[in-house]
This record gives sequence, structure tokens and C-alpha cells, in this order.
Amino acid sequence: MIVRRATLAGALALTRAEVADMFQYRVVLFLYSLWEVVHPIVYLAVWGAIAGEGEVGGLRLSDFAAYYLTFMLVSHVTAAIEIYTFGPMIQQGELSPHLLRPMNPVWVAAARNISYKSVSMLLLIPVWIGLVIILRPSFTITAGSVALFLVALVVAALLSFLVGTTFALLAFWTTRSFSFWEIWIGLTFLLGGQVAPVELLPGFVQNLATALPMRYTLGFPIEVLLNRLDPGELALGFALQFAWLIAAALIVRAVWRAGIRQYSAVGA
Amino acid sequence: MRILRIVSAFLRAAILKETAYRAELVGNLFRSVIGIGVAIGGLAVVFSHTSELSGWRLEQAMVLLGVYYLVQGIVQTALSPSLNEVVSEVRKGTFDYVLLKPVPSLLLSSTRRFVVWHIADVMLGGAIIAIGLIRLEAQITFGVAAIFVGVMVGGVAIVFSIWLALTTLVFWFVRVENITMIFQLFFDTGRYPVEIYPFWLRQLLTFVFPVAFITTVPAQTITGREPLVAIWLAPLIGVLALLAAARFWRIGLSRYTSASS
Repeated sequence: MIVRRATLAGALALTRAEVADMFQYRVVLFLYSLWEVVHPIVYLAVWGAIAGEGEVGGLRLSDFAAYYLTFMLVSHVTAAIEIYTFGPMIQQGELSPHLLRPMNPVWVAAARNISYKSVSMLLLIPVWIGLVIILRPSFTITAGSVALFLVALVVAALLSFLVGTTFALLAFWTTRSFSFWEIWIGLTFLLGGQVAPVELLPGFVQNLATALPMRYTLGFPIEVLLNRLDPGELALGFALQFAWLIAAALIVRAVWRAGIRQYSAVGA
Repeated sequence: MRILRIVSAFLRAAILKETAYRAELVGNLFRSVIGIGVAIGGLAVVFSHTSELSGWRLEQAMVLLGVYYLVQGIVQTALSPSLNEVVSEVRKGTFDYVLLKPVPSLLLSSTRRFVVWHIADVMLGGAIIAIGLIRLEAQITFGVAAIFVGVMVGGVAIVFSIWLALTTLVFWFVRVENITMIFQLFFDTGRYPVEIYPFWLRQLLTFVFPVAFITTVPAQTITGREPLVAIWLAPLIGVLALLAAARFWRIGLSRYTSASS
């Protein structure tokens, strides 16, 4: 995908404006960030209660702590919010003025995504550091795993954004895009590494989770960072992650083109 | 009796109004089925590694999940629609019209609206409880059922009180649209028995923000786990919480100044 320089400058300006806008809502954003902390804590407690002093599938309590603490940051960076930010724009006809600009309105969604995350990340970090002190995780990381993690994280965030945008674009056809989105959220919960690290899923479900895209938006970067994968699994994981990224990009393009053709704003 | 007449009139009006949006029931049912299906899938994953979670068997954890959805459904049907309206009315100053009516403001503010479609969660929650109990082959005597209902009523009273107290903050801070998120934040910990949490969190969820009494205790009662003192405490705490929240409401109300005055 080649991006023109003017487009990039426009995207940057959009992002700056969105960041300024976001700062108005810092209390709400702080509450949202707390939300993202609560769910990992619930599942950390579940697995901690099962592991006790021993281990579950080779993971000790401190490993689960490391997993779910990393989860908090990864899920924050890769969160897809397009169904809330971009979907309503289409539904309420606010897309029209954006169509007049010389850049694709998907950039607006991207700018909003980045600004939301950067502002709320500032609020999340202090809470996270407090939790690290309380929960005593054992981070089994190496320099190599951190480097690979950053790659996996960026790809995961991109993939997640494209998936979120695809579901938001369904608003061109239906007022119930939320229902479809909830199916995706449910599958991510089960197969993406939220209810349990993917390595703890039972046999065939684990294979399913490895093949489907959900893990590559969430669990995969965590596994990479904490060195839970052998070289073969690592290579396969990256290959599938990139494959899904390309597939998602193609799908977004196709859905956008089909959707914009039959878009009509309110009053048209 | 007059109170009952007023509430049933609101309920009738709500049902009439919402039959205009029948497709919503299908939509909500669909979303509830997905949500509960995923939650049960999660339980299946957890219990594929253990036969009991802090002393809870799979079927007992299912009953607890059913209680969670039951309460969630009650909140979304009957509690949150009315109380959320208070927040926007106080901000706009139209809360005057509530105060002008010859009905206690608290009653009117908390029973005006019902979003009947969320009854889907209540029904599904009840179904999950029933399935769990059947698989446990539990012998439910009339006495146990009666205690369960009492404990559930206590739990719902606690939920209502917390929600009302959070809403009442509107009289001081005005812009509190999202404050009830705090409730959901804590309530989500109630999908699992409170015993799984580390000591400090368990204390917090029992005594400060009593989620334990909303899901864990009712599930304990009906699945015949060790009867605790908590079972007798739940309705009592419910009543006390209601009284405290109503008192807080009155204090808040005295600060209401309408718009532009």
C-alpha cells in the first residue's frame, strides 16, 4: 500500500486534532482503561486459584501474572473501537463531509484510534505499574523476544484496526452491525487468548485458535514476549499473522468500495 | 396500593411503547444467547484443567453465571433506564417536572421506564440456573427455594442501592453520565465465585462493594454449598443499603437547584 505524502500530512494533522479533543474526556477514558484492567484480573484470579502453589499446563501463578499483565497493555494497544467511532458516522450520515476531503475517511477512524489509545495509555500506565508491584509477575523476556514482540504488536494493532473497520463498514447495509461485532468479540474472548492463554485450550480448539485470526490480534504478541513459543511455532505464527493482515486489508478495500457505492446520506 | 397502581401503569405504558420495536427482542435474544454461550464456553475451558474451582464444580459455577445474567437482566430492564434518565434530567433542569408530580420523587425516578426486551437476559439466566441444578440433581425443597428468592431479592436491593447512590452524585457533580460504569466494573468480577480472588480483593468485593452478596451468595444458597452466615446477612444488608441510599437521595435532592437559578 503506497501512501502519498499529502495524505500522510493530513493524517498527522487529524491525529493532532483528535488528541486535543480526547483530552476533554479524560475521566471517561480513565474509566474505560480501568475496564480493560478488570477482565484480565478476573481471569488471572481464576487461573491463580487453579494453579495455587503448583502449576497448570506448565504455567505457575507468577507466569499467569506476567501473561495477564502483558495482556492489559496489548489489549489496550490493539483494541478496535471503530464500531463506536466509525460505524455511527456512516449511520448518521456524518460521513458526507469527510467524503469531500481529498483523503479516505478511514484515516479519520485511524486518527481517532491512535489518539484514543495514546491519551488513555497515559492514564493506564500508573495503574499498571501499581498492579505489577502487587502481583509479582515473572517476566521471562529476552532482548530478542522484546524485538519480535514489538513487530507482532504493531501487526496485531493494524490487523485489529482493519477487522474493526470491516465490522464498522457493515453499517452501510445494516443497523445491527453491533450484533455481528459481538460474535467477533466472543470468539476473541474464547480463542484469542483472553479466557486462557492459547496453549491451555483443549486440543482441537487450540488448532482452531492457531488457524483463525483472533489470536493474532491479541494473544500472539504476549506469547512472543514471554517466550512461550518454540522457533517452529514462532515462524508459523508470524506467517499466519502477516497472511491475515494482507487478507484483512483486501477485505476492507472490497467492503469499502461496495459500501460507498450504495451509501446515501440522510436527506439525499 | 396507590404505589402499585402507579408502577403497573408505567409498566403497561412501557410494554405498549416497546411493542413498536418487536425486532429488538430478536436482536437482544440473539446477543444474549451469544454472550451466554461464550461465557459457558469459557467455563468449559477453565474446567478442562480442573474439576473444581475454589471448591465450585462446573455445574455450580454455571448456576452462578445464571444468577449473574438474571441480575444483569433485571438491572437493564428495570433499574438503569429510569435512573439514567434522572442524570440527563438534572443536567437539563427538566427534573423539575418530576418534583412537581404528586408522587414521591424517588418512586417516580426509579420506576418510570422499563426496557422490557432485556427480559431475554432474565429468561436465559433462569434457564442456565435450571440446567445447572438439573445436572447437579439438586433436591430443591420449598424451604431452599424460598431462601433463594429472599437472597436474590436482597441482592437486587443491593444493586439498586449502589446504582441509586451513584446516580445521586449527579446533584453534586452534574456531569456523571458514565459514573454507573463503576458499577459494571465491579459487577463483572461477579461472574466467578468470590473465593477465587486474593484476600484483599475478596474483602473489597464482600464488604465495600458487595458483589459477593449479589451472585456468589445466591448461587451458594441454591446449589446447597455450605450455608453461610452470609445467607442470612444478604436480605439484611439489602434493606440497610436501601435505607442508606434513600437517605442519600434525600440529601442530594435538597441540593437540586434546577437549571439557571
